[in-house]
Amino acid sequence: MNWSDLGSLAPIIWAVLTAAAVLLVDIAAPGRRAPAIATALMGLAVTAAVVLSLAGHTETAFGGAYVVDGLTAFLDLLFVAIAALTIMFADDYLQPRGLPIAEFAAVLIFAITGAMLVAGSADLLLLFVALELMVLPGYLLAGYARNDPYSTEGAIKYFLLGSFSSAILLFGLAYVWGLTGSTRVDVVAAALAQAAAKGSIAPGLAMGLAFMTAGVAFKMAAVPFHYWTPDAYQGSPTPVTAYLSVGPKIGAFAVALRLFVAALGPLKADWLPIVIVLAALTMTLGNLVAITQDNVKRMLAYSSIAHTGYILVGLAAYAGGQHSGISAILFYGAAYTFMNMGAFAVITALQRRPGVTSQISTFAGLGRRSPWLGALMALFLLSLTGIPPLAGFWAKAYVIVAAIQAGGWLTALAVLAMLNAAAAAFYYLRVVVYMYMRDPAEDAPPLSPGLLFRVGLAVTGIATLVFGLFPAILNAASSAAGVLKG
Amino acid sequence: MSGLPILSLITFLPLLGAVLIAVLPSGDPNLIRRTALGTALATWVLSLILLVAFARTQAGFQFTEAADWIPSFGIQYKLGVDGLSVLMVVLTTTLSWISILASFGPIKFRVKEYMISFLVLEVGMIGVFVALDLFLFYIFWELVLVPMYLIIGIWGGANRIYATMKFVLYTLVGSLLMLVAILATAFTYQAATGSWAGAFDYEKLQAFAAAGSFGQNFQLLAFLALFLAFAIKVPMFPFHTWLPDAHTEAPTAGSVILAGVLLKLGAYGLIRFAVPLYPYAAHTFAWPIIVLSVIAIVYGAIVSIVQPDLKRLIAYSSVSHMGFVTLGIFVFTATALQGAILQMINHGLITGGLFLLVGVVYERTHDRSIAKMGGLAATMPIWSTVFGFFILASAGLPGLSGFVGEFLVFVGSFVYAPGIVVASIIVMVLVATYLLWMFQRVAFGPVSDFLAGLGDHVTDMSRVEFATLAPLAALIVVFGLFPSLILDFLNGPVQHFLVAAGSAVGG
Repeated sequence: MNWSDLGSLAPIIWAVLTAAAVLLVDIAAPGRRAPAIATALMGLAVTAAVVLSLAGHTETAFGGAYVVDGLTAFLDLLFVAIAALTIMFADDYLQPRGLPIAEFAAVLIFAITGAMLVAGSADLLLLFVALELMVLPGYLLAGYARNDPYSTEGAIKYFLLGSFSSAILLFGLAYVWGLTGSTRVDVVAAALAQAAAKGSIAPGLAMGLAFMTAGVAFKMAAVPFHYWTPDAYQGSPTPVTAYLSVGPKIGAFAVALRLFVAALGPLKADWLPIVIVLAALTMTLGNLVAITQDNVKRMLAYSSIAHTGYILVGLAAYAGGQHSGISAILFYGAAYTFMNMGAFAVITALQRRPGVTSQISTFAGLGRRSPWLGALMALFLLSLTGIPPLAGFWAKAYVIVAAIQAGGWLTALAVLAMLNAAAAAFYYLRVVVYMYMRDPAEDAPPLSPGLLFRVGLAVTGIATLVFGLFPAILNAASSAAGVLKG
Repeated sequence: MSGLPILSLITFLPLLGAVLIAVLPSGDPNLIRRTALGTALATWVLSLILLVAFARTQAGFQFTEAADWIPSFGIQYKLGVDGLSVLMVVLTTTLSWISILASFGPIKFRVKEYMISFLVLEVGMIGVFVALDLFLFYIFWELVLVPMYLIIGIWGGANRIYATMKFVLYTLVGSLLMLVAILATAFTYQAATGSWAGAFDYEKLQAFAAAGSFGQNFQLLAFLALFLAFAIKVPMFPFHTWLPDAHTEAPTAGSVILAGVLLKLGAYGLIRFAVPLYPYAAHTFAWPIIVLSVIAIVYGAIVSIVQPDLKRLIAYSSVSHMGFVTLGIFVFTATALQGAILQMINHGLITGGLFLLVGVVYERTHDRSIAKMGGLAATMPIWSTVFGFFILASAGLPGLSGFVGEFLVFVGSFVYAPGIVVASIIVMVLVATYLLWMFQRVAFGPVSDFLAGLGDHVTDMSRVEFATLAPLAALIVVFGLFPSLILDFLNGPVQHFLVAAGSAVGG
């Protein structure tokens, strides 16, 4: 280790310092919310600035275990944005319920530190440790409302299944290490490329591949490894759900990019069929079950499973020989982050008063109760549906583009994805029906989200629109970030 | 041509109006109504200027505008019109202001949202007709969907939510498959030329297709996807089941636009994109499509006879009338295609008028069931006269415009398949049956108990209502007597279509 290694690690160091500072501020001013929030947001802003200052460089640190490249920078920025938005939305929910914000912010920032570390991992062991750092705080956050039995139930399910999947993933990694003799991504890739060239894949390697796929699929919430998702999402406090639906999911895709693409890329012909089947199952089942939900949070949980399926189409397109699949995954991740967090934020605003459920009937007449919230929710839902010219449309379009270009079975997968998108319109638009075509309940109280909350909502709304009207911006960024070698 | 981007102006002027209305106070519905009407009229005037300035004898696209939009995929903002699209744009702008005027009375709540939706809808419809980039076309195509979804869902009848969901889901299935087909077409082009430049450009793709460069299997798949999207919109049998629900539940102006313009989007897509880009596939599937068209003509007419609801009856008659359009397209003769395009325009004018007339009665009685009507000729003489006129036009009375289109389709198809034409002509008897029988039950005989019970509420048409119908009636007479006014615009597009379609069979 030398000083330049620490320089490469600067964003992560800043994130850890931010989390620590939030805790210190809370000790200095116990129970005061504004200082903790301000510290957290300022720290995240500095972290983002540090990431930007490193952008454009490609360096490795710690003997090649950690790598700073375009992919790291893109994902780091995304994770920082996720954390900042979550904190902006969280206080409106936590404060009325008497839950502290400082611990929430600190735990959340630790979680995204893990995610950022995943993004830069070039070593399988570091990848695993970083993944655990990302998910462990997630269990805490899911059970953050301690007195709410649903929150506790969701957290325990999330924790148990998450731990299993981590163990399974680690087991798979052990096979790879045993058969290639290294945990370094580039060494593993080279060894596998040799093995693939000879046309002989050891049975142990196939076992390892199966275990790793199952482990990562758990984290992404891909069908049939998705059972924890609906309960964890529905039970968690709504801002936590917003975070869980994007943070760990994109983190899991970061794992996939570093593990499947970078390390296991030479075997892509072998894992392509698995990803195709996973993608087809995930989007179809996620959508079909989402149609039957009457609780919007649970509906969005299933829809998030469906979106995992669409993103997997991008991974399949990469395995099918289209390198653009990777930038499609990144674009999708960014677009999904803003539109989905926005949708959850609107639910949070409705639930500001404790006791308000996320049943679809809560949304009745929202368009008249609060025109702005209604319009924004409609925008997010239309974007999630994939109506042009919104961000969600381009996200789907790029994934489909990559899949059609790859051809073969992937064309069929692209058609399936489009049919799924049409089916998804049913449940997204159902919320719009409630918001605009039904009358509000007589006793519905006025909605008054806080200032910070409004700023966050504006950011997600503007991002959904701007990435939709000018997709070239985000597309350029994600293409530049797709530095992984085919 | 002057440097003025007239197509962009026409397309986005309604959007400007929508933005303006968004900032107006919602407490003054009359100001909102007038602003919307003013915007639609201004758009209409611009489109008439376009119509006059359009060089009818010149082939190819005119008033083209092009700018890069997403250069990495060669996606452009490219607009242009030929004779076909110019007529469709004018039809759209005409029906739009008429519909907005017709909404003054019936739409009493949330006027602001209604007018914004309507103007955005107009942007989408005009955009579809002027887009020359396949991607841009798709964007406008989807843009039509959302406002119509809101218009049916918020201001529609009792069963509106079921109807609007059905409308959206049917359309979306088709349009997403269309997106896949468009992307696949662009890739095939990109793979063959090695460059993304022009991969979504209609003119370049069409030249590429004319050279026979799209493989046959590829054509079959892409055509099917595109055809499905357009067939749902037209709607062709058996994809028509959304139409009666949507028509019946939509507010009057929504029905007018649905029948007048939205159905034409599908036919336009077939003429502009599906056939010229995939001629081999179009010829391969021509027979099944012709058979489906004839089924639509017959089935629509038979089902119309038994409809108890005025709007539902007109909706099913639309299925029948649009069958002539698809028949006319897929027999690949100049006469039949001219007839099909005429039929598109006539159907827009006539059916639009019929929906307006039903809306007039509905305003007074809040009912549309034929059984409850009777003797309206006594209580609403002007309405009954005008209704009778539109009924006769719809039944294809010679001298009115409906006749010319159907006649040309018959003549053009006869060369191709005499048997089918004979079958279709027999159907014309059915058409007369259901229309005249309906008219008889509604207008003649003693005044029904239901109407008598309403007493003074059943007043005759107001001046505004008459003003919405007079221009349509005038156009029906003019086009009936002088169809060449339209046909003159169609020489270029029809020749282009036949050459493009013929390139598959080496003719």
